[in-house]
Amino acid sequence: MPGVTLALRGIRKSFGGVEVLHGVDLDASGGSVLALLGENGAGKSTLVKILAGDYQADDGTIEMDGDVHTSLTPVTARRLGIRMIHQEFQDAGPLTVAENISLGRWPSTGGLVNWKKLRQRAQSVLDQMGVDIDPMAPVASLRVGERQVVEIARALADSARVLVLDEPTAALSQQEVDLLFAWVRRLRDNGVCIIYITHRLDEVAELADRVQVLRNGEVALVEDTAAVSRRELVQAMVGRDIGEVQRPPARTEPLGEPVIELAGVSIGEQVTDVSFDVRRGEVVCLYGKLGSGTNQVAEMCFGLRPATAGTLSLSGRQVQLRGIRDAIAHGVGYLPPDRKREGILMNRPVAENLAIASWPRLAWLRTVIDRSREAGAYGRWKDRLNIKAGRPSVQPIGNLSGGNQQKVLLGRWLERSSDPLVLVEPTRGVDVGARQEIYAAVRTLAADGCAVLVVTSDYEEAVQVADRVLVMARGRLVADLADTDISTVKLLAAAGG
Amino acid sequence: MPETFALALVLVALMVFFSIKSEFFLTSDNLLNVLVSASVIGIIAAPATLLLVAGQFDLSVGSGAAFIGVVMAWGTDHYGVSQAVLLSILAGVVIGVVNGFCVTVLKINALITTLATLAILRGLGQVIAEGQTLLLPGFNTLGNGRPIFDVPWPVFIFLFTMLLTALVMRFTVYGRSMYAIGSNSIAARLAGIRNARAVFIGFLLSGLAVAVGGLILVSQLAAASPEAANGLELSVVTAVILGGASLAGGRGTVLGTLLGVLLLGVLNNGLTLLSVDAFWQDVARGSLLLAAVGFDQLRLRLVGETS
Repeated sequence: MPGVTLALRGIRKSFGGVEVLHGVDLDASGGSVLALLGENGAGKSTLVKILAGDYQADDGTIEMDGDVHTSLTPVTARRLGIRMIHQEFQDAGPLTVAENISLGRWPSTGGLVNWKKLRQRAQSVLDQMGVDIDPMAPVASLRVGERQVVEIARALADSARVLVLDEPTAALSQQEVDLLFAWVRRLRDNGVCIIYITHRLDEVAELADRVQVLRNGEVALVEDTAAVSRRELVQAMVGRDIGEVQRPPARTEPLGEPVIELAGVSIGEQVTDVSFDVRRGEVVCLYGKLGSGTNQVAEMCFGLRPATAGTLSLSGRQVQLRGIRDAIAHGVGYLPPDRKREGILMNRPVAENLAIASWPRLAWLRTVIDRSREAGAYGRWKDRLNIKAGRPSVQPIGNLSGGNQQKVLLGRWLERSSDPLVLVEPTRGVDVGARQEIYAAVRTLAADGCAVLVVTSDYEEAVQVADRVLVMARGRLVADLADTDISTVKLLAAAGG
Repeated sequence: MPETFALALVLVALMVFFSIKSEFFLTSDNLLNVLVSASVIGIIAAPATLLLVAGQFDLSVGSGAAFIGVVMAWGTDHYGVSQAVLLSILAGVVIGVVNGFCVTVLKINALITTLATLAILRGLGQVIAEGQTLLLPGFNTLGNGRPIFDVPWPVFIFLFTMLLTALVMRFTVYGRSMYAIGSNSIAARLAGIRNARAVFIGFLLSGLAVAVGGLILVSQLAAASPEAANGLELSVVTAVILGGASLAGGRGTVLGTLLGVLLLGVLNNGLTLLSVDAFWQDVARGSLLLAAVGFDQLRLRLVGETS
């Protein structure tokens, strides 16, 4: 295949008046792997979506093999040979592997699908990849790693010249990752231009020939992989001297007894042999990227998911949580990662959202709601958490900012005097000011004797709020950092490995 | 709430219109007629509001009412009036349990479940009545008796049911839970609400209302027809949605439903007074439902939460 040359120049993109890409350049060519690195919100996905035609740039050009384009659509991008494997699967579940591999271009004779050709085409691609998957199986029945294989097969069958992979290993096992890398290398050797988006430094080292770092919508670094160190990459991603992120003052009071204890916990294939404890007065952060198993551990602590091995103990007693209400009865409070979908009742008033978990206690004879008690509950936490909401008994919580919504959710569990608290991504989508207030509130809670487990994929959060950071990667605990050991570099390095 | 106010205005406008077009409309006899004919719809629309607020609905109510009427007649024949009444209430509970079980335990969605029970109950009613209309001479008081102010029992029961449901929805933990479930069932569950139990109770209440409604219908005519209450569910759903309850769940009030029920009642009554063909009334009702749902969807889209 003739060598592809791809050049993006001066790409600008805004959403709703906010510019997210400020004139980004990117160079890539056939027969090499370019890793596109950056933290959440840096603009990586937006950039490649512009390349794949999903978005149109506000300014800038896409040059491929000397032809200049000002914008692409999914159709024109496809025609140029640009293929993208998205983070979330874009396959058609009920259809078979063979149908997916030829999605949209099923071989036909006279308007009718030629099933024989369809199967043959699928089989030949799968054979080329050296994979053993039944082409007539519905993709919904395949394992996650296999579905990814089918996606790649689709790109291959469609003669990809530029292949973009968006964080493909998030949900894969180590074995599947090795296989993926083998194919990527084979494709590269066949002359395909590969752009590989990731935040995992180890993958960059293993797979990429060149690496480009995006930060806040701008190019922070472009180098050959061999010529750059991990520390330089982290610094480019983070953009400041590592020491600048504030650590909280060290704990002076002695810690109490353990409130959450995990011993040898495994959850299916996603979590393996995890053991740790969270003591009274301590803020422990479970840090790991998407797919590392941190969310599953949090869910287990709230009865949303059973452990398939190992034990969970709450306040010293071994428990087998039978569900949400059981967890709540044991005193666990849980802040879910997606507040819009799982946390807030958008159209209901602020005070109601705060009081919901305490209704029976706030009501007469556990039946009749007393609005004034509900308002009182809100008042209790409004000042401590600095929640800004006018007319809380009437105003729908949907009108509040993300930060205030999150504080209300926190207040929901504080009103129940929940202990331990399991907070998942507590400041996702929250502005900087509210973020600091939430961290301060969490530290105060711990100082007052609560045990807090913060589960996050945001390294800054871990650094700013935790007494101890437990790092998870691919389902296992890989590091246990405390006090001065907690630094951005160490976290990123540990999580990437 | 501005929507309720608008609804009240429409109701008043409609009443003004009919009183101009027909000299009989604004008489106390006629207005009482409106209330009486709206009673059964209203009694069933009350728990229907509760269910819709939680994102559920019960379409089996029409068939259920007819079925209970038939049960009442059969029971009276075989056992006696008071036992038959108990049997009818029990039948209503059973309907509620079956619907509730299918929706909350078997997790079949409400549309399919209640469409199925709609058909089953209609059929069962025919089977028991052997296709006949069964007479119940003497079972008159419930449907026609006028205890005070010359107002028949059904109207009192209607207003009482509405009031009770309104209080439950506004002031009780149970009512609030239904709003929470309709607003965001995942969040409600994570906050410790027992979604399945609350929805089950909702269907149970609907079954009870259907029993009361069915008994009233039978008593008004002193006869039980397996064909009775055909299309009742359409009127109930129309009234509830007209009243401002959203198909997406999480919003709705009994006051709104009350206005919706009255609006429908006035419309039916007015059209009859103007000698409009009964079939046109069906057209009017159907169009009103479309318009009501259309406005609901429009509002949802403007707010950004299309169901």
